[in-house]
Amino acid sequence: MIQPTYLLAAKSSNGSAQMIRSTLIIALVFVAAFLVLFAVDLWRKRGKRDGYRLRSSVTAYLMLLPAVVLAFIFIMLPILYSLGYAFTNFNLMRPEKTMNDFVGLANFQRAFEEIRDRGTLYHAIINTLKFVVGVVPLQIGLALGLAIFVNRPKPGVKIFKVCFFAPVVISLSVTSYLWLSILSPSETGLLNSLIGIFGAEPHDWLRDPKTAMLWIVILSAWQGCGYQMLIFLSGLTNIRSDLYEAASLDGAGAWQKFLHITCPGLRSTFVFVLVTVFIGACRVMIQPMLMTGYQEHTVTLSYFMYYTGYRDYSVGYSSAVALLMTIIIGIITFVQRRVLKEK
Amino acid sequence: MKRIRNILVAALLILAMIFAFASCGTDGTGDGDGDGDTVEPEVDEQGNTVVRVMVHVDAKSAEGIAYQKRIDAFNRAYADEKIRATIIYKARTSGASSYETELNTMRLEGTLPDIITFDAPNCASYAFSELIYDITDLVPTDVQNDFYAISLNTYNGRLYGLPIQESSAGFFYNKKIFAAAGIDVSAYSVENPWTFAQFKDVCARLKSYLGDGKAVDMRLDATKDETATYLLYPFIYAAGGEFTSADGFTAQGYLNSDASKNGFRFLRELVDAKYTSNTINPTDFFTGKVGMYLSSGWTIPDLDNKYPDTFASRDDWGLLPYPKEVSAASATGSWSFGLTDNGKADKTPAVKLLLWLTSAESSKAITDTTGMIPARKSVETNYAVGSPEYTLLKQLELSGRARPATVAYPNFSTAFSQIIYKISIGSVDDFMATIDTQTATLQREMNSKK
Repeated sequence: MIQPTYLLAAKSSNGSAQMIRSTLIIALVFVAAFLVLFAVDLWRKRGKRDGYRLRSSVTAYLMLLPAVVLAFIFIMLPILYSLGYAFTNFNLMRPEKTMNDFVGLANFQRAFEEIRDRGTLYHAIINTLKFVVGVVPLQIGLALGLAIFVNRPKPGVKIFKVCFFAPVVISLSVTSYLWLSILSPSETGLLNSLIGIFGAEPHDWLRDPKTAMLWIVILSAWQGCGYQMLIFLSGLTNIRSDLYEAASLDGAGAWQKFLHITCPGLRSTFVFVLVTVFIGACRVMIQPMLMTGYQEHTVTLSYFMYYTGYRDYSVGYSSAVALLMTIIIGIITFVQRRVLKEK
Repeated sequence: MKRIRNILVAALLILAMIFAFASCGTDGTGDGDGDGDTVEPEVDEQGNTVVRVMVHVDAKSAEGIAYQKRIDAFNRAYADEKIRATIIYKARTSGASSYETELNTMRLEGTLPDIITFDAPNCASYAFSELIYDITDLVPTDVQNDFYAISLNTYNGRLYGLPIQESSAGFFYNKKIFAAAGIDVSAYSVENPWTFAQFKDVCARLKSYLGDGKAVDMRLDATKDETATYLLYPFIYAAGGEFTSADGFTAQGYLNSDASKNGFRFLRELVDAKYTSNTINPTDFFTGKVGMYLSSGWTIPDLDNKYPDTFASRDDWGLLPYPKEVSAASATGSWSFGLTDNGKADKTPAVKLLLWLTSAESSKAITDTTGMIPARKSVETNYAVGSPEYTLLKQLELSGRARPATVAYPNFSTAFSQIIYKISIGSVDDFMATIDTQTATLQREMNSKK
């Protein structure tokens, strides 16, 4: 199993002392932040003489603690260390000599140069954008359609639910290899065999720059839509049925009911699904990794970061790209939330 | 209130980051590179000094079994000296880089074995990063001299690894198809290699006989790991190109020189002329659908044993050398054994195992299993003149050229694969621009390592 770089670095012979020291400092500051939050919350309730509210606050914070500790170890620390590494020449092959080699903004400069020269990073950004633009509407549309389809009290619907959800529980690696055999470039590949019936020549779907990302989008949407279907399904069950009955009495058709009852009723669910699918799409890595390998037409930002950090060992540069990506995703998500904010 | 709280939290987080930076930055000199570390030798319950070796193959593979036999023999031979060797198998099941990642993880965890196998072109990178140990003074000169010079793993004039086998590649061809297509290649040999033009002429005639994209499997699809790089880099040397400067720190003007581009262009012409394609099935050559197959010596056991319907005997297939243009060049390099810089002061037991595993006897045992070429001159080969093994050995001696010795080899391999990928796509893409952008990317990486 691949361990976080900061944990590996912490285990290195002489990196450990520094890593432990800085980790402890960060942990102390983090605990302080948590205590400040706690104190501010208690201070707000100081004059209310409501013992129950005070006790409930303490209980709530205690119950939060395990999640906070886990979030600190697995989210905050990697982010903070990655942030630090972004300004160093940290090379995984020479951790002791490079971990503290501060290079200022050199990694960011290198990233911008690579984008300017249309290097692999440029293609990673373009491919990630293509993937997001393709998979977000497709996956959400499919999920919504399937949710509406299985939300009818018809016999056999449960079987469809299971079928639609099945790809979610299958490992991405397994589904990727399944699609690899479907899209095999040889004439014995499933898709090539099918088009061969009509006299078409076998095609290398995953190396052709025009089709490679398209198939990764299709695979990803197919694999992931079952999960969003369940979320939409729970949203649909919350819409009161009498609204549909009233609309029917008023002579509304299926499309009008969808437009004026279902859509508004699913608004908050939709925002949640949109944000989660968007963020997930920005982090796509496994599918291109398994289906095409590290290729210009399918490499994504996450794959680029992984490859640069673990295959080429340039953790400093990889961290700088990760930081840029985090900022970009953060801004887009913020805009999304603002635009789709409940009026 | 909410705003104040948010400001407080943000301020504390920023404070945490500053502390983290300060903490990481205050000790810029670090504790050194571990040179002074002394790890005690590992001793088992019977008092044997344990020497661990990690190999890149599966325990159940023929090569893995051969390694185990050599380890068992070592343990019998050194029982009196109280040295016991154990073997760790880390098969490269999920791509070539998985082994390197594992190696790296072990290094960072401080669990490196005493000896590792490593792919020859990674020598410079591993030596530069002090992953492997300088064994120049630990290996007797007569032993060093018994290896083919091109096979020794050196960096900056120092020895870092010993190969157990060497490799060379070439074009395996189906003699029945060649005869049916009226192609005579008897004039081409290692001593008198064919030219790029003659190679294309043979491809054209095979295409006429077999159809589009079936003349030769150039393995342009094998860019997910090192295979395409290993098999195709000689074409760039053959066209008069280079990859890096002699010190391995400059790619600009080498990888993208006119001569190097001519080598890449030759490969692209094979695609555009439909002599090869990506839709060739990996088994098409073995089932008689493709005329030629670019591969290494590891294909010989398969041709001898696995496809009797197509290749009943060695009369049904042959091996041609790499074509040349400006100069002859052929693929070399295989896996080697090296001592790790794992902090153990006493390297004696590990050196004994290293010399055992790379001895002439071990070399013979392993190469008999893998079909590769022994890396030691003293290994009795007895290859018949004209046999595939003889062709590979002669080619290694006469035209073998190693992949570039650069500390940025992983990045070079990535850049080369990206260019080959673009070439494999065919006329839909401008691969020349990719050569320049990949060279620029590689140069930036090299600059960061200077």
